[in-house]
Amino acid sequence: MELAGKIIFWFYAVVIVAGGGLAVTSPNLVRAMLGLIATLFGVAGMYLLMNAPLLAFMQLLIYVGAVSVLIFFAIMLSRASATGDEGMEPGLWPNVRAFLAFALPMGVLGLTAFLAPPAGVLVPAEVDPAKLGQALLGEYTLPFELISIVLLAAMAGAVLIAFEKRGSK
Amino acid sequence: MSPVTWYQFVAVLLLGIGLFGLVSRRTLVGMLISVELTLNGAGLSMAAAAQFTDMDAVMGQLGVLFVMGLAAAEATLVLAILVIVSRRVKSTQTDAVSQLRG
Repeated sequence: MELAGKIIFWFYAVVIVAGGGLAVTSPNLVRAMLGLIATLFGVAGMYLLMNAPLLAFMQLLIYVGAVSVLIFFAIMLSRASATGDEGMEPGLWPNVRAFLAFALPMGVLGLTAFLAPPAGVLVPAEVDPAKLGQALLGEYTLPFELISIVLLAAMAGAVLIAFEKRGSK
Repeated sequence: MSPVTWYQFVAVLLLGIGLFGLVSRRTLVGMLISVELTLNGAGLSMAAAAQFTDMDAVMGQLGVLFVMGLAAAEATLVLAILVIVSRRVKSTQTDAVSQLRG
């Protein structure tokens, strides 16, 4: 990587880690969501940096645009207290448990990535968005149609689950 | 080290942070946020592998798009479940809904 690329990479990495830390530790759920949004922006920046602009824009559209709004709805609809009863559990064991959940997969996967690095190339692949569209309608039609069915089923299921008849109470 | 390894480190870190939150959070919304972090780590790892190794980049990028679609579907369903739980149990603390009853 060039020097500028390295600087930008580390900037995004810091944004991702700081946002993630805020998202999992903040006692206030709205702040946690803001941390999540910072992380999502950082990941979108990394997609841009690795020469995948379509992924970056989809990340912004789907995650920052839709999923974070859904999470905001979830915070509001669940009447979560905005002042934060959501801190870490008191006591030593929950902290140790959470740290183990963080450290064990990280240790195994990070060590694997360090000891057996994949044979990478230095220059990212160049993929035209038009090529992605053609692949979606050609080679990968079945997954594309399946994901639309999954989305439709999820949407219909969500309405069905949350629907309440007017006279039922 | 090649760029793919650095991206994989960030992705693994994101996965770890998500798992940390999944275990330590005490409300369903907090767990939902953590799951989104985890899925982002997966997407970042797949995109890095697609762009910086010899594999088919089109396949990798489409895989990341599918992960995003599944994350959206999952968030929708979690929202619906959360509405139901908060309506019936009057709380979204995970301790309050730890019991199944037919």
